[in-house]
Amino acid sequence: MTLTRNAAFADGPAAARRGGGWRLAAILLSIVLALFGIVLFGGGIWLIALGGSWYYGLAGAGLLATAYLVLRQRMAALQLYLVVWVLTVVWAFWEVGLNFWAQVPRLVAPTVVLVLILAILPALRPRRT
Amino acid sequence: MTNTLRVSLLAAMAAALTTSAFAQEPAVKHAAPQPEVGADWPFYGGDENATRYSPLSQITPENVGKLERAFVLHTGDMPSPNARYSPETTPLKVGRSLIMCSAKNVLISADATNGKENWRYDPGVPDAAIPHAAACRGVATYTAPELAEDAACKTRVIEATLDARLIAVDLKTGQPCQDFGTVGQVDLWNGIGKRVPGWYAVTAPPTVVRGVVVTGAQVKDGQDEDAPSGVMRGFNAVTGELAWAWDMGNPANKHGPAEGETYTRGTPNNWAAGVADEKLGLVYIPTGNSSIDYYGSNRKDYEAKYSTSLVALDAATGDVAWHFQTIRHDVWDYDLGSQGTLIDFPGPDGKPVPAIVLPTKQGDIYILDRATGKPLHGIGEAKGHKKGSVEPDFIADTQPTSLWHTLRKEPLEESDMWGFTPIDQMMCRIQFRSANYEGYLTPPSADKPWIQYPGYNGGSDWGSVAIDPVNGILIANYNDIPNLNQLIERPVAEKMGVRPIYAPKTDAAPKSTGGEGGASVYPQINAPYAIKVNSGWRNWGTGVPCSAPPYGGIRAVDMKTGKTLWDEPLGTARRNGPFGIPSYLPFTIGLPNNGGSVVTAGGLIFIGAATDNLFRAINIKTGEVLWQDVLPNGGQANPITYEVDGQQYVLMAASGHAFMETGRGDELVAYRLPK
Repeated sequence: MTLTRNAAFADGPAAARRGGGWRLAAILLSIVLALFGIVLFGGGIWLIALGGSWYYGLAGAGLLATAYLVLRQRMAALQLYLVVWVLTVVWAFWEVGLNFWAQVPRLVAPTVVLVLILAILPALRPRRT
Repeated sequence: MTNTLRVSLLAAMAAALTTSAFAQEPAVKHAAPQPEVGADWPFYGGDENATRYSPLSQITPENVGKLERAFVLHTGDMPSPNARYSPETTPLKVGRSLIMCSAKNVLISADATNGKENWRYDPGVPDAAIPHAAACRGVATYTAPELAEDAACKTRVIEATLDARLIAVDLKTGQPCQDFGTVGQVDLWNGIGKRVPGWYAVTAPPTVVRGVVVTGAQVKDGQDEDAPSGVMRGFNAVTGELAWAWDMGNPANKHGPAEGETYTRGTPNNWAAGVADEKLGLVYIPTGNSSIDYYGSNRKDYEAKYSTSLVALDAATGDVAWHFQTIRHDVWDYDLGSQGTLIDFPGPDGKPVPAIVLPTKQGDIYILDRATGKPLHGIGEAKGHKKGSVEPDFIADTQPTSLWHTLRKEPLEESDMWGFTPIDQMMCRIQFRSANYEGYLTPPSADKPWIQYPGYNGGSDWGSVAIDPVNGILIANYNDIPNLNQLIERPVAEKMGVRPIYAPKTDAAPKSTGGEGGASVYPQINAPYAIKVNSGWRNWGTGVPCSAPPYGGIRAVDMKTGKTLWDEPLGTARRNGPFGIPSYLPFTIGLPNNGGSVVTAGGLIFIGAATDNLFRAINIKTGEVLWQDVLPNGGQANPITYEVDGQQYVLMAASGHAFMETGRGDELVAYRLPK
């Protein structure tokens, strides 16, 4: 918060979005997403090798790419993750339909990730300036 | 059907009464009139038929919402810090008193209106005698016709203890019965062999039939092929003298083994409650498996014959009248845990015959002719899978199923795997794909884990079923949980330091060692493999189950057709969450449950059982939960209902359960409508 205010004083509102606290938030979120992404991607490949669902490997790859874009503070992070999230919802309903408890592991965490990305939206910029 | 049931019940009662009215000889030979359920709850299973049905109707779906606590009774039997307790207490109610045993077998009589203690008798069971956990599910009473009305122990309370004693005390005073055994006690270790505390322990109420007290014992699972015998014994209910022993391995032991000998070791045991058939003079004993559970090639013929069976024993002689086996060559620990329920059921010609309802852990519910043991409905066949088995020649080609009703669900699929996040769900999917699984009856394997579904907790376990004989409705609560198990090669087990229960206490190595995801390892000495059991298939690290909810439910079945009337998940998510953190979510999820239900003429089902620690009343017509109360600890027991001074009470033990992880306490909570 303090950082944000200082940054705002130094460079004005537009620059503040990319720097200081927002930058820190983007880095932290990027790390979290990358950790989840690596686990999902690695485990997902293992599961595919065992003849299981392809979802986790693909979702892991999507999450890793999103993590990279968040780190670069690119708006494309949101666009990419929206695709991942929509495909996740489609897959989840295809696999278990309206079974509430079966949807908990499929939809809750991916939706939390979406909310987190939306929360750091001010840190993201449309394209390279 | 409804009327047929009713009429035949009345006929049976009339027949029993007539027989006894003319009987002047000792009760060991003839049927005696039995106390009736209603104001009293005279048997562990409610009435002599173990229907868990009460004719009381003061509490109804309309007024059950007004139920309030009448009193909370404390047994005073609290676990010492390292002791595991699963009291599972179900009292009797006789006259104005509740009669019960605490977890470590303290007998207590208390005023049924306020819980105030009348007397207690503490047999002084040591902690060392505790098997998996300290439990005493119930007691029996016996009124001796040959004793004078005012004689001491005219009516006696009989229990069997964790340290394998049969104990009789006076119902009125709690004083040991001097005429019974040695100062009110009989030592059940006689003829069993070396005393290893905790290996041979009784947790079920004894069954009294025609003046004979019948008991088996729990034999702690997975220790050694050379384990205490599963012998069934009948004792004179007045003198405590051995009336007979049924030793399936050696009929010569009928009156006890010779000096220095033991009953045949390692035979299938009986830890579940039996039920007496006073009229036919039989006692129906649900057996478990021979020691050990998960390997069978070295079992004897008589073990294979009687394991996991309902055995009808003659009360006078202990001879086998018939037996019905529910699993051939059991290598899944599908021992019979439920008490049978006696009903009348249409025979082959449509006329009602005396029958027994037998629930199983596999989920199949059988209905058998009590005179012959023949099923009164079609028997199906399930394929026995051999892939992955370490003993494919031993695995039975087929297993019986009940075509009347089964609680068992469809086999698991990868998409049934669960977790709280995609990550733990993925971990479970990896385990699913890495395990041997051919569906129901996947055999034990050593190369990799195998999925056992249903797991050893049922289907139906010791909570048994309740049957409303008037409306012809069976109520079954059940578990719906897989286990993930693996046989462990002997050298690996040695390295893990898994030791049997009789290993020296000073040894630093654990007796049975914990494993990943809450798994337990049992040594199975003298078998080629030890066994690792992950009960409930809990995930690595989080402890969250790998299979999706519901984990348990409650179901109403039409007795006439065997069809499901309704089926609901049992239990809310309030106490559950990752890493054991309660979520306080009020949503119904369907939880693991142990303990059973009571059904009443008022149209209600009362049940705790689930791991959410709630006690609830359910509309028997719809399955809707109409009322609930948060218990101090888990209600893993069978509730009872009774009446005093025109007021109906419902009572539920709420002392928690070690295996179900629902706390440690000593409470029983009673409810009634406001006066």
